[in-house]
Formats: sequence, structure tokens, C-alpha cells
Amino acid sequence: MGHGEKGRPYKKLKSSKDEHRSIAMEDEDVYFGEAEDDYRDDGDKEGKKRDFSKLELKLDHASRPLWACADGRIFLETFSPLYKQAYDFLIAIAEPVCRPESMHEYNLTPHSLYAAVSVGLETETIIAVLNKLSKTKLPQEMIDFIHASTANYGKVKLVLKKNRYLVESPFPEVLKRLLKDEVISRARITPEAHGNDGFTISKTAGEIATGHDGLLNEAELAAAAEEKETHAFEIDPSQVENVKQRCLPNALNYPMLEEYDFRNDTVNPDLDMELKPHAQPRPYQEKSLSKMFGNGRARSGIIVLPCGAGKSLVGVSAACRIKKSCLCLATNAVSVDQWAFQFQLWSTIRDEHICRFTSDSKERFQGNAGVVVTTYNMVAFGGKRSEESEKIIEEIRNREWGLLLMDEVHVVPAHMFRKVISLTKSHCKLGLTATLVREDERITDLNFLIGPKLYEANWLDLVKGGFIANVQCAEVWCPMTKEFFAEYLKKENSKKKQALYVMNPNKFRACEFLIRFHEQQRGDKIIVFADNLFALTEYAMKLRKPMIYGATSHAERTKILQAFKTSKEVNTIFLSKVGDNSIDIPEANVIIQISSHAGSRRQEAQRLGRILRAKGKHQDRMAGGKEEYNAFFYSLVSTDTQEMYYSTKRQQFLIDQGYSFKVITSLPPPDSGADLSYYHLDEQLSLLAKVLNAGDDAVGLEQLEEDADDIALHKARRSMGSMSAMSGAKGMVYMEYSTGRNKLGQGQIKSKPKDPSKRHHLFKRRYG
Amino acid sequence: MVNATKGLFISCDIPMAQFIINLNASLPASQKFIIHVIDSTHLFVQPHVSEMIRSAIADFRDQNSYEKPN
Repeated sequence: MGHGEKGRPYKKLKSSKDEHRSIAMEDEDVYFGEAEDDYRDDGDKEGKKRDFSKLELKLDHASRPLWACADGRIFLETFSPLYKQAYDFLIAIAEPVCRPESMHEYNLTPHSLYAAVSVGLETETIIAVLNKLSKTKLPQEMIDFIHASTANYGKVKLVLKKNRYLVESPFPEVLKRLLKDEVISRARITPEAHGNDGFTISKTAGEIATGHDGLLNEAELAAAAEEKETHAFEIDPSQVENVKQRCLPNALNYPMLEEYDFRNDTVNPDLDMELKPHAQPRPYQEKSLSKMFGNGRARSGIIVLPCGAGKSLVGVSAACRIKKSCLCLATNAVSVDQWAFQFQLWSTIRDEHICRFTSDSKERFQGNAGVVVTTYNMVAFGGKRSEESEKIIEEIRNREWGLLLMDEVHVVPAHMFRKVISLTKSHCKLGLTATLVREDERITDLNFLIGPKLYEANWLDLVKGGFIANVQCAEVWCPMTKEFFAEYLKKENSKKKQALYVMNPNKFRACEFLIRFHEQQRGDKIIVFADNLFALTEYAMKLRKPMIYGATSHAERTKILQAFKTSKEVNTIFLSKVGDNSIDIPEANVIIQISSHAGSRRQEAQRLGRILRAKGKHQDRMAGGKEEYNAFFYSLVSTDTQEMYYSTKRQQFLIDQGYSFKVITSLPPPDSGADLSYYHLDEQLSLLAKVLNAGDDAVGLEQLEEDADDIALHKARRSMGSMSAMSGAKGMVYMEYSTGRNKLGQGQIKSKPKDPSKRHHLFKRRYG
Repeated sequence: MVNATKGLFISCDIPMAQFIINLNASLPASQKFIIHVIDSTHLFVQPHVSEMIRSAIADFRDQNSYEKPN
């Protein structure tokens, strides 16, 4: 069936509402198609390239860990004694494709080689080490490919030194070629004293390679030991953006690496902050930082770590090393609070030096250096601001930032990035994310807007090390009931399909059973995810559990989350997709997913990330410890429906990380009977009637702004909810009156703290 | 008076029975093939439709299963 995934299911889903989503997903697929096509464009070649019988095995092949194929793919045996070293090396030069337990697959791409060069590996080193590790003689195609891809990368660096932008290169002829370009030569600032070429010549110590020990070291140290001469010319700061653009692969093809020589920066004031002694970066955090600070300068780039693996400590440590003003960008107000807290927790920064800038709290820091935590939207917001925030934004614009720290880079649309990056002057940019699976053309944008991927951790290694929770993933198959399936098949219900398979009574019963089991037998804390708002409210009300969705106010969210964290009574919360990213709920260890956003692999990974934070004693979590699994991820799927298709697609990212999904077919157990809801046919039928009577818009997906952020939340909310949802009174009683999209409310309604008397009765009972 | 009709006895799970019933309902009257719905998992249909039903079900399954592109 191969490319059958572009077939019918997409078209069926493509109602006007989620059209843009479907397109985004198709883009991903297109990328996949292309990536494969690069190497296998026609059938004949494919046959040849799949024939590996001609590869020569080296005599001592058994002790070497990897297979390198002519088409750029590399397979690594994880049981080899050299696995650790080989992994560190491969992750630097190749893109991980699939990493199950015993055999990893990697792919050499131009982008991954760009990243390799930017962390200081040289073409010859890459080939030499690869050859050393490979079981077979390295295919000539691969050597050629590496040469071709790295020929121009990393030859030119853009360095900010004492606030002068310098274009630096060890090869004067490259600089000369660049200067032939009109834009660049105009941007050049010619120094008064002319040397022979007019280039400034300086000596820099070679790369300090860390982390690759043993076998790899010889080659790398040899490369690092020589001191290199670098030539440089200065360019006009206002022209930096244009010069950078001219150097991109579509023009001159000398992509610039950006580095920041922060130790010699005397213009920007230092910020007094150190890591607290109790902040002990874990080995993989050290490693990712060493990639960033490879030669005493700070490089821009992206670090990929799974959720719960301590991304914030990496961010804070980076800020502590640079010790300059730092601008930290998060996706929403809640994570702004969390970042500010992380800075206070891990570093010795004084409270007055750290400030949050959201629509709620507009703090301004004292002194001339500090850390500002804010959201992407606050910076990129184009509309009119209050006078106070206008002042702060002006300050952010005019300041020169040592470090621009960007959280969750995968969620932010490219145009927003451009805006943020053009608005703020920063010496060094660090992007953090858990799931870099936005593999449409936008990943290229990230490569050039922020920098190459510096490090990516292997999930299973972290699980083995006990750094993240060991999760049992399960897919629970719930058969559709007769009546629901009959309606599901009817043509006139095509828009309600999702509501029908989500509200499947068997699914509800399975969900109720799982909640009871984990609450009562194991004392676990449970998050239930539902994208479908109708289902979310139905489930939460029937089971009498608190819920959070787009329209829930900040204050109420905090209250519910607080209760979930501390109270013994509240063990389960229902979240819509607002909970997908960066809501920090370390207590939770069970996730039940009842509905999801179609086939999004990213969402699945992000949701799993909510429970990855390791719990319990460290030694219990290690391989062979007391508890085999300490977290559970259930995805409830109605069989024989579209959901099966999506569910399999969604799991691909996690499967590529080495996770496996267990299929459970007998939930709830047949003897559970009337203990659980919707046992009797008449109850099921009244539920069915409810689903069918609800308006099409009410049963659809929740519409949120791309990033649910404080602007959307507090100022001008533009969610597509109904009026009753806005007032918090979205009870079923009001469903028939709902007028659908709230066109009047766009941009005008300011949400105020809710009057307790108007609070949804579900919450009134709990918190009233 | 006893009437005998030759037909095909289908035994399947609940959703598939619904699928076949729905398929039957979507056809024009002249092509309807279900003779009798016995209960929620058993159907009695005309003898010549087995291939047609099989291929309709196979199509439906394909739509609902994802295969990783290679």
C-alpha cells in the first residue's frame, strides 16, 4: 500500500476547520517521500543499492560496530562494546531514523553533516572515524557524498567580537570569493591599516573535542592539536541579516556558523550567576553542553532531549556559562513561571535580576544585566500594546542579549521566529525541544534561523540510565457497539464520525475501568487527554472529575493543577490539547488518551512526555530494578474506525525511538457489568442521541490558536468556542442554543477572573 | 406453505454485520442482497454476493490501517 496514506482518510477529515492541519501533515509526508527518493529514485538503482554482497568485510569486522551502506544509511549494533563511542560520533554526523533496542538506523544527510561541521568535526576526521568503525570498507559513494556536502559548510564563521561583527575563515580565498559578491562587499567595513589582503589574521586554539574517547580520540586530537590561522573582515552590523542571506545554500552556498566569544566580550556587562552546587548536570546534559561550548565560544544551535530529561537545567547551565543578559522565550504564561522558577532553583541569580514579562506580570529588572523570561507572542505581537509593555519591549529590542534561549522550538511557526530573531539582537541562540519531527521544509528554516542540531539524546539509553521513566505503552482496542457503528457508517454523519468513535460506550467503559484501577489499586495520578471538547465535557461530567481546556482561566488552571498535585482527593484530571505542551505535572504517571488530533506524531510524543519525568528511587528505576514499569500510557482506540489508522500513524515517532506498543483487547473485563457506566442499552442509546443532536461545530475539534499563550488567554482571545463556553457555562443544557463560532467576540472580550457564582457547576462543587 | 430460498449464511462480529447492513442499504432496491437479518452477528444473504462483500470489507480495512511508507 506504500503511499496509500495520502488516500481517502485525509480527504474525509478535511472539513474546513482543520484544513490547514491536514495540509501541514501532508507536508510531513511529502518530506518523507522526498528523503527516500533522494537515494532511490528509480527501481533499477534500488535493486543495485540494496545488493550489499559486494561490500568487503574487514578481517576484524566482529569487533567493529557499524554497517555503512552506499545510499547513506548506517546501521549501528547497540550490543557492541564500542556502542557508546560510536553513538556519540554518529549522533553528531547523521540523522537518527529509527532506534529500537539492538539496532539503530541512521541516515547521512546534508543537514546532519552541516551540524557535524559546525560542532567542529572536519571532513577528513568524519571519513577516518567512520572508516575505523565500519565493518566494511567505506563505499566510495559515501566518501564522495561527505566530501560534496561538507565542502563549503563551516568554512565561514560569523563572530561577534567586542560588538563588531566579523566574518572569519581559515581560508583567505573563500573570503575573497565572498567579497566578490556585491551585497557583501558593500557591507564590509574596511580597516584603515591595510595588510596584504586587508584581512585580520589571528590564531585560535583548535577544537577541544570532548566526549569521544578511546578509539576516536587519536584522529580527533590530531585534528585539534594544530593551531589554526584565521582570517577575518568586519561587516556592518546593520547588514548582518543580508550578508547571512547571501551565504545561504541557494546563493553563495557558504552557510555561516555563528559563534560568540563571550569571554572576551567586554562591552556587555557580566551577570553574576553561577550554577548552585546541588545542580549536577547529568552525563548527557554535560555532553550536550560540551557540544555547544566546544572551543570556549558559544555556538548557536538546537539541543534535542526527551521531555522530562531536564531541558531546563541545560538552558540554565548555558546561561550560567555565558554570564550575560539572557532572554528566555517560552510558549505560554505557565511555562514562563516555570522557567523563572528553574532559574531561581538552579542558579545563584539574585531575585531582582530575573523578571517575567507576560500580560499579567510586567517586571523590569534593576541593574544593567539580567534574565528576562517571556513568551514568543509577547515579543512578536504586532498589535497595539499598553504603554507599560511598549516600554519593556523597547528595552528588549535595544538591548544586546548574550543568549537567546528558546523553549519548545518545534511549535513555533517560522514567521514568528523570523520576527523574534529580527527584533532581538542576540549573540548566541539556543533552541530546546523534545520532538524535532516537524520534518516538512520548516526544519530547514530552523537550521538557518537558529542553527544546526547540536545534540540529540537516545530515549532508551536515558530510560536504562533511570533518567526518565520507563513507560509501558498500550493501545486498548475497544469494539464499537452495534448502534454507534451503524450511525458511524451512515453518510449523513460523516462530520460526526469523530464524535461517534470517541463517545463509543465501550471506550468510555474502558476509560472508567482504567481510572478506577489506577486510582484504587496503585494510587496513581492520572491525566486523561481528549482533543474533542464534546467528549471531554461528557467524560469529565459523567465521571465527576475536574477538567482544563482552552477557555479555562489562568487562575482556575493553577487551582486545579495545585489540587491535583497536593490533594489526595483529586487523582484524575481531564485535559484538552492545551495540556500537550509544557504544562509541568511531575506527579502524573498515567496517561489515558481518549481522542487525539488525527495522525500527529508530535502530539503523541509530547503527551507521553508529560509522564516521562522519573519518579521513585533511582536504583529501582535502573535496568533490573524493582519496578519494571513505573508509568503507563494508554491510547484508547475504537476498532474498525479511522481511529485505527491515525493511532498507528501517531505511534511511529515513538516506535522510532524504540518504544513498543502492547495491544490490549479485553478491557473492561467481561465481568465488570453494571459497575461501570453505560452498561444498559437505554443508557447507550440516550448517549447516542446526545451525540447526534449536538451541532456539528460542538462535536468537532477544539480550535485553539497555534500556541495557547497568554495573549490568547487574557487579552484578545480568538478561540472558536461558543458563547456559552466563554462564560464557562458550557453545560449540555445549553448545547442547542449554541450559535457556533463567536464572531462578535473576536478581539474584544477581555476575560476577567471568574465570578465564583458563575463558575461551571462541576467546579463549584469542588472548589466553591 | 413452506418456502425454500437458496442463500449464503454469514457469521461475523457485530460491527461487520452493521457494515454489511449499511452496504445493503446504500444500494438501489434491485440490488439489495440481504434476505434476512437473523441476529446481530448472523445474516442470510443471496448466494452470489460473497466476493462483493469481501472486497468491500477489504477496502474498508485498508482505509483504516496505516502502513509506514518505505
